Amino acid sequence: MKATPLSNCERRFLLRAIQEKKRLDGRQCYDYRNIRVSFGADRGCCIVELGRTRVLAQVSCELVPPKPSRPTEGVLFFNLELSPMAAPGLEPGRQSELLVSLNRLLERCLRDSKCIETESLCVVAGEKVWQIRLDMHLLNHDGNITDAASIAGIVALCHFRRPDVSVQGEEVTVYTPEERDPVPLSIHHMPICVSFAFFHQGTYLLVDPTEREERVMDGLLVIAMNKHHEICTIQSSGVVMLLPDQILRCSKITAVKVAEITELIQKALENDQKARKEGGKFGFAESIPNQRITTFKMESAAVDTNDVEEQAGEIIAKADPPSEVFASPVVHTPGTAQIGEGIESSWGDLEESEKEEAAEEEGESEAAAFECEKVETEDTSTLKETKSDEPIVLSDSEEEEVVILEPQELPRKTRTQTSIKQENPSKKAFNKRRRKKRTSR
Amino acid sequence: MAAMAMERGTAAEALVGQVVLPGDLLLLPAHYDEDAEGERLRLSAGTAPQGRLLCGPGLRRSGAGLLVTKCGLLRHRPGGGGAYWVDSQQKRYVPVKGDHVIGIVTAKAGDVFRLDVGGSEPASLSYLAFEGATKRNRPNVQVGDLIYGQFVVANKDMEPEMVCIDSSGKSSGMGIIGQDGFLFKVSLGLIRKLLAPKCEIIQELSQLYPFELVLGMNGRIWVKAKTVQQTLIIVNILEACEYMTAEQRKQALAKLSGN
Amino acid sequence: MAVEMEVADGQCRLRPFSCELGLLSRPDGSAAFLQGDTSVLAGLYGPAEAKISKELPDRAALEVLLRPKVGLPGVLERSREQLLRQTCEAVLLGVLHPRTAISLVLQVLSDAGSLLSCCLNAACMALLDAGLPLAALFCGVTYALQPDGAILLDPTARQEQEARAVLTFAIASSDRKVLMATTKGSCSVEEMQQCLAAAQRAASTIFQFYRDSVRRRYSKN
Repeated sequence: MKATPLSNCERRFLLRAIQEKKRLDGRQCYDYRNIRVSFGADRGCCIVELGRTRVLAQVSCELVPPKPSRPTEGVLFFNLELSPMAAPGLEPGRQSELLVSLNRLLERCLRDSKCIETESLCVVAGEKVWQIRLDMHLLNHDGNITDAASIAGIVALCHFRRPDVSVQGEEVTVYTPEERDPVPLSIHHMPICVSFAFFHQGTYLLVDPTEREERVMDGLLVIAMNKHHEICTIQSSGVVMLLPDQILRCSKITAVKVAEITELIQKALENDQKARKEGGKFGFAESIPNQRITTFKMESAAVDTNDVEEQAGEIIAKADPPSEVFASPVVHTPGTAQIGEGIESSWGDLEESEKEEAAEEEGESEAAAFECEKVETEDTSTLKETKSDEPIVLSDSEEEEVVILEPQELPRKTRTQTSIKQENPSKKAFNKRRRKKRTSR
Repeated sequence: MAAMAMERGTAAEALVGQVVLPGDLLLLPAHYDEDAEGERLRLSAGTAPQGRLLCGPGLRRSGAGLLVTKCGLLRHRPGGGGAYWVDSQQKRYVPVKGDHVIGIVTAKAGDVFRLDVGGSEPASLSYLAFEGATKRNRPNVQVGDLIYGQFVVANKDMEPEMVCIDSSGKSSGMGIIGQDGFLFKVSLGLIRKLLAPKCEIIQELSQLYPFELVLGMNGRIWVKAKTVQQTLIIVNILEACEYMTAEQRKQALAKLSGN
Repeated sequence: MAVEMEVADGQCRLRPFSCELGLLSRPDGSAAFLQGDTSVLAGLYGPAEAKISKELPDRAALEVLLRPKVGLPGVLERSREQLLRQTCEAVLLGVLHPRTAISLVLQVLSDAGSLLSCCLNAACMALLDAGLPLAALFCGVTYALQPDGAILLDPTARQEQEARAVLTFAIASSDRKVLMATTKGSCSVEEMQQCLAAAQRAASTIFQFYRDSVRRRYSKN
């Protein structure tokens, strides 16, 4: 999917408008768009809407061994993903520069600023610490992903509660939410990123650029600050050269904006906390506005299932009984079975070796035996045959194991697959690929 | 229940002006009389249509009647043989022959320009398809320019082709759109509303200040007014028109003209 | 959020549903579907330009991506993507848009049981919102079989864990045909037929919900 190209007339108009200090949506140069924070039913889940840019954040935790260099500190892991639904140009799996730079910036903002107390995440020094994982997903791209993601990240971290633990000597008890209330993370301060877009070689600047403004900007300056006026991160990118007093001016604007945003965040967190404590309704369903015509809600509805059993009984009675053609499978080793016989293969040289296969290891077997359908003689729907327990050695090398699989699909065609293992075959379980063919598609 | 009745099919006339969903079967008058012992049922608009019944966007012929394929409001036009179609809100444009659209030039490949029209493929436009263009007198088109043209070839199997002249060789308003002004995108339903004859929105806007307006069927609108501020106002009003009722619009315009 | 349990006189309950259409500005169609505390956001682009390697000469190439909230997509997501893709292809009239790509992205916002049926519902609403041509609508219904044989409609996460089997069906709106069925756990043929029949009943309620929400959407025209 390709993004729509920007036409010359749009570019010229936007630059002209910025020269006259006018923005498309009527904002002033230093105004932010509307910020809306909504929380999910799970702890640590929130969606932040900055204008039309939408970011989802979720915090989760897990007990892991600590890093060897820091045995008494917890582990923090941050990940921002640009979902393919966010914009037409984003495709899955391609690590673009934008994604890498955003991730790096958010890591510096949240990790290097030491806003989370990692020492408090230690459970047993050197053995068990909490790993806090923050996943962010961009759902809609309308500019200024950095700010939206940083707000979402810090809100989710403040909203999250980790299970309570107690340590008695060597024993660690992790309490479920029912046994003991989960505890919040200890967060020192809330760093928030504020982005400035520069135009006309640094002459004009705009706070919180939209996607169109980002396309025509010359450079971007991001300052992450907390409400105590401490700069956590500062980054400048693009082709613009900034003067020191421009940067100072930006940091002053940042201080004002961060104070406003922090207040908004605190209020949102308080509202959610109150709703949960008083037993009111919370979660995404509550944050959907009722008045819009694009939303619709339905209360819990009952479905009548009174005579379902009779209906089902009728259907079964009318249906043909399942044919009893296939015999019960012959079980060779745990996890493998054979139904029917294969058809003679017609590949000259490999005729002998095709019927023989290396046996499966004794150690591990596949998860569950599964039912197979009736085998018709025209279609070869053969499972892998496993013969006796001794492996058939086809080569002298102990490190290689060559497995030749049964023919599938058509009797004329045969296919062989070889897989080479690095280790001693007896150590690792080798999952053979099962060829199950559905006779009717 | 109404839901079950839908599956057997309901008369098309009964649903005109109501919301229909994909999978609904609409029965046409000629087949509707199966229940009434062979007696032909009335309905002035639909009885034994003289011409051919036109099955418009959102509908497909299927056995007994018309199958609805898009959700929206069912509309009917009685003229000729009659026409039924579904009025749906959509953002994505699919090229249709004869539509006038605004395209953005993305590449110049030899004799042909490649234009992005918002569909699934870029459209091609020959440099000779402009009024007064000859091999020596090529139009001055750069990458990123806006062009207003119409489709001569647009079907699902071929790459769409555009021209900027009509059948008699005159440009009739098509061609390269000027340098100033602003381009923005709205939904296709709004464009159709704006292109309807005697559209109120355009009339009310024209009383504010003079402006130039080009509407492309692919959802793109180009506006140019005297100042940047006026252009922005028109852009914002047109974008908001999607979800505003007539009263809200009149209030907004009154506020602006009061300024 | 109140969780509804099965009522003893043979009635099953669906959790409170909500849906929002067209909430994202960039995708061609988008929908958020909530069933109780389970919510899924679907965004759709199409018909758009396809990569040469992926385009099909006679119909549209549909690609479904399901993203979990935490971690990278794994095998479970891939198998669910295949189920969703097959269901969508069964109703989508792809022959009207050959050599194009339609890409449907689903993001799990919260998972409190019946996730696959929530994904199916969100996918159908996104297809509706984008205005793609469909031959019918579809909806997803999940049933859980308790160890004592009772069936539970629209189970929560805890009910799914305690159940003997969890069955999910995709039901089409034309004649209530079954488009997709997937089960986890073991159940007898009679129990599966019972759940299927019950799912067809529940589907009527869900289709009425679709109709009402689309009616509301077009109420201003």
